Amino acid sequence: MIKVIKRIESQERCAEAGWYAYDFLLAEPITEEEILGLRPLGSFIYLSMLKKPFFKIENHHYFIKGILGDDFFRVAVQRDYPDLLEEIQRFVERPAAEPGADQ
Amino acid sequence: MIYLNNAATTYPKLPCVLEAHAAALANPPQGQFRGSSFGSYDFYGDCQTAMSCILGVRDRERIFFTSGATHSLNALLSGLDLRGKRIVATAAEHNSVLRPLYNLSQLKDNEIVIVPCDRFGKVRPQDVERRMTANTGLVIVNHCSNVTGMVQDMEAIGQVAGKYGALFLADVSQSAGCLPIRGDQWGADALVFTGHKGLFGVQGTGGFYISRKQSLRPFLYGGTGRDSSRLIYKTDAEYEYDAGTQNAPGLIALKAGVDAILKKGVEAVQAREQELVRFLYDGLSQLCGVMVYGQKDVNTGPVVSFNIQRLSPADTAYILQNGYGIVVRAGLHCAPLIHSFIGSRESKGTVRVSLSALNTMQEMECLLSALKEITKNVR
Repeated sequence: MIKVIKRIESQERCAEAGWYAYDFLLAEPITEEEILGLRPLGSFIYLSMLKKPFFKIENHHYFIKGILGDDFFRVAVQRDYPDLLEEIQRFVERPAAEPGADQ
Repeated sequence: MIYLNNAATTYPKLPCVLEAHAAALANPPQGQFRGSSFGSYDFYGDCQTAMSCILGVRDRERIFFTSGATHSLNALLSGLDLRGKRIVATAAEHNSVLRPLYNLSQLKDNEIVIVPCDRFGKVRPQDVERRMTANTGLVIVNHCSNVTGMVQDMEAIGQVAGKYGALFLADVSQSAGCLPIRGDQWGADALVFTGHKGLFGVQGTGGFYISRKQSLRPFLYGGTGRDSSRLIYKTDAEYEYDAGTQNAPGLIALKAGVDAILKKGVEAVQAREQELVRFLYDGLSQLCGVMVYGQKDVNTGPVVSFNIQRLSPADTAYILQNGYGIVVRAGLHCAPLIHSFIGSRESKGTVRVSLSALNTMQEMECLLSALKEITKNVR
């Protein structure tokens, strides 16, 4: 289960222009199983053959991206949707077997 | 880490710059016209002399130092007498030019005209001329695009400006230290530079050159260490542009960087960077699914922009940085207008690789190898 220990504003505001980007710092490096568990959040890209696999989940109002094995990933939301950060954190921290999690 | 974001700021700095900066902080302070310590020297004049060689201007006393190019551009655009004049700038300009143009209260009634560029970022002198009128007061041109590395024909554009009696302001922030600059030959009335890019200085240094013929109201007023009894400047000739305590450690470090470049030769720096750039263009052309916003031997500055199909520039930069330890930059690069002309507006910018002469061929090979792996996976 993913455990977010801190959310910090991303230093890369310019690269993620138009988005409010945050880095979610994790208690443990993210695993492939945990990455795949994020699929219900939106359209999913997973470049699994890279030396360090990259994932991205895109939705209308936010995106999440990160690298397998890193102890952080980036979440960016649109200006009008700051509450999404809370929702996303709740989702990623949900127990793996929670009913309906994969719907 | 492989650092390929030198157009933002160079890293690493030259050892002589680090040493000069540290020594300047450790030694008794040098104050321009205010030196109290025995053996103090004219760091300001020394730096002016060194910069005059970089900028290709003979009148070294008309070079003034500021916190950087943005400060310099605000100083020039707010201080030049442009009342009622048309201002012509190019699509390749940085926000350090564009934002003062569109926001300074002094310019709120000026007509701002943007000259387009081609898909590689080239501005044709005849397109500048087409926008010139008898009322045009200023032409601003970015010597080397920080997005595509395109180098403009400054002499030809300077001639156009001169023909219409307009001032010619050259932004050499990206090219100073990387490309030969010939301010006098170009007919430049003003030049703007930053210290922390190709000159290897520290952030917070830069400046401008303004021809003695031009009237410029100072941006800042304050102590200068000269004639402290004077409160009011009665004529333009009395104006001073170095008010306040100068960044002596920064300027001493900047001079060390400039001296090192002059010793090596700007042409030698340019040749080294072009060798790396050519290698990159060749390598990128071999990769499927890569759009390159420039062309070998056409875009000759130390900057290469590209995008990978199906990945945003920010995603590519994220993968390179976090997956391969390669630092590049993604986005609009503070030059929002050029993207409509080079075809990167929809992708919200480009991935930019920017080099210094300290980068190596091995680093270029690592980048190309990483991009090869990424493009293979994205298809």
